[in-house]
Amino acid sequence: MNALPRPSTIFLAAITTLVAVLLYSPLFVPIVSSFFTISQGNVDWSSPTLSTYAALAENHDILAALRTTLIVGVCTVILSVVSGTLLALYYHGRRSGRSFLQFIIFLPFLMPPIISGLALLIFFREIGLERSLLTVVIGHTVFVLAIVYRTVLMRLQSMSRTLVEASYDLGATGWQTFWRIILPNLSSAMVGGAILAFALSFDETMITILVTGTQSTLPVRLWAMMRLGFSPDINALVALILMFTVLLCVLAARFLIPRQMATERT
Amino acid sequence: MTENTDLLTLRSVSKSYGPVPVLHDIDLSIRDGEFLTVLGPSGSGKTTVLRLIGGLEPLTSGEIHLDGQDISRMPINRRPFNTVFQDYALFPHMTVSGNVGYGLSVRHVRRKEIARRVAEALELVQLGRFADRFPAQLSGGQRQRVALARALICQPRLILLDEPLAALDLELRRQMQEFLKSIQREIKTTFLFVTHDQEEAIGMADRICVMQAGHIRQLGTPHELYYKPNCEFVARFFGENNLVAGKLGPVQGEQRPIETALGRLVCSISGQPHLKAAADGASAFAAFRPEALHLANGEDSGNRFSGTIADLAFAGSSTVATITAGANGAAQRLRLRVPSRIDGSALKSGETVSLSFAPHEGHLVLA
Repeated sequence: MNALPRPSTIFLAAITTLVAVLLYSPLFVPIVSSFFTISQGNVDWSSPTLSTYAALAENHDILAALRTTLIVGVCTVILSVVSGTLLALYYHGRRSGRSFLQFIIFLPFLMPPIISGLALLIFFREIGLERSLLTVVIGHTVFVLAIVYRTVLMRLQSMSRTLVEASYDLGATGWQTFWRIILPNLSSAMVGGAILAFALSFDETMITILVTGTQSTLPVRLWAMMRLGFSPDINALVALILMFTVLLCVLAARFLIPRQMATERT
Repeated sequence: MTENTDLLTLRSVSKSYGPVPVLHDIDLSIRDGEFLTVLGPSGSGKTTVLRLIGGLEPLTSGEIHLDGQDISRMPINRRPFNTVFQDYALFPHMTVSGNVGYGLSVRHVRRKEIARRVAEALELVQLGRFADRFPAQLSGGQRQRVALARALICQPRLILLDEPLAALDLELRRQMQEFLKSIQREIKTTFLFVTHDQEEAIGMADRICVMQAGHIRQLGTPHELYYKPNCEFVARFFGENNLVAGKLGPVQGEQRPIETALGRLVCSISGQPHLKAAADGASAFAAFRPEALHLANGEDSGNRFSGTIADLAFAGSSTVATITAGANGAAQRLRLRVPSRIDGSALKSGETVSLSFAPHEGHLVLA
């Protein structure tokens, strides 16, 4: 790459910094302000406190919403990892019909969530399925399936075909080859996909609002709280969700970035 | 184990990928206990032969017999053969001993027995210390030996090796050649070794099967292929050679003359009845190796011609001279290989020399 003249480098650096600050600083506002109390509409900057977090812990509605979110997340992860992996295995190496299937799988992920949500809502009503946590799980699975499918398929494609051949050559059956060779080589991709799926399910709002019954998940609860007015425990909640999501992304990256099976252990 | 009994026989085996034929009517017998090398340029179908025997690909037509029984449709995991893949195909999530023991463990051999045989196999390939490492922690040569140990632990009737040395550097390749050969002598298992490297083939094989464009061109010992190639392809492909085109003359006992641009050359045809049977005037080549050619002295009777040294190349122990010989318009480029000398070769570039080769060191191939 050609080095740019010094003034332009400085200029570019300034622009980049400005954009970064403008885009990302709002993210830190709720985190910082979650450590302060609000009195009469103004943030009281004088004394940092954890009282907002304490208030959050005593808010039973929020705790219930958190539990719902976790249940939905876990169910979604199980459903999407199993079906995404099966789809990837089935379509790996197949030519016919694959691009159509991929299109179908990616559609809900790329469509505006409100459209996916409405489509699902109409579908559930037509088949007479009551809105409940089950419909939420189905909605989330449809939404995150693309991520798991893509992650597993990419790992399958990077796996050498001779590994499977070698397994058969050494006398293994198809079943043994699947459990002992294919699955272990996919496992880190499946874990990575699962974490991403969980993170997506965790803060999915639009589809959830449309297809949920009486129970609300954390983001939906947050949405409802916002409508009633700005309260300090919202800051705490946002801060917690933000940290949790970042943690999940870091974890996912660890599993998805190829690395050696084990570093020097001897 | 007696040699010369056939272990595996291919009977008019053909293979096509869709409309593209890659093997045409191959007949091949592999003897019990031999080191057979399948040699050919890329695209000759040599790897396909190996994959068909291993069961990695189905036959298009023909039969494969093991001990006289048709195994053409036997599934890959039932065939008593094991393969060493070109990329080794070691399982990255298993340790060295996990890899080596895999073939036994999928057959539900008892743990103790597996541990004992894995240790034995690793001892054989001199990797005892590396049992707990992962493939990613090994060098190329070590991975190669793990792949070999993994293939031979199931005591297969035949070990198939698909260009296993291609990824190694020259020095390591030489070591591995000797190593493979010594292992083969020790365990007395039949090896089928596929390669495009003719030096590798000469160095290791009991017999070599030369393939080109989906056909077997010649099957024989390295010595036979080198001194009695049966066609132009083998004569050119297998080692350095000088080929001079001409018309055959009448048979003279175990020799036959050929009229070429370099004059009448007499070559041996002993043990090659098809050369005896060829018609007078048929197109053929006189073939003689660069080391068979020498500077003529008074004692040489026949096969004399003169040439000009166009180029000299020092190649360590020997020096190779490129020579232009024959009348203008029909000039031939020949190679002459002489032992190098410390005070510089006796040959000089641009010099015209008189050359000769003995009739018993020349051979004929039909065009």
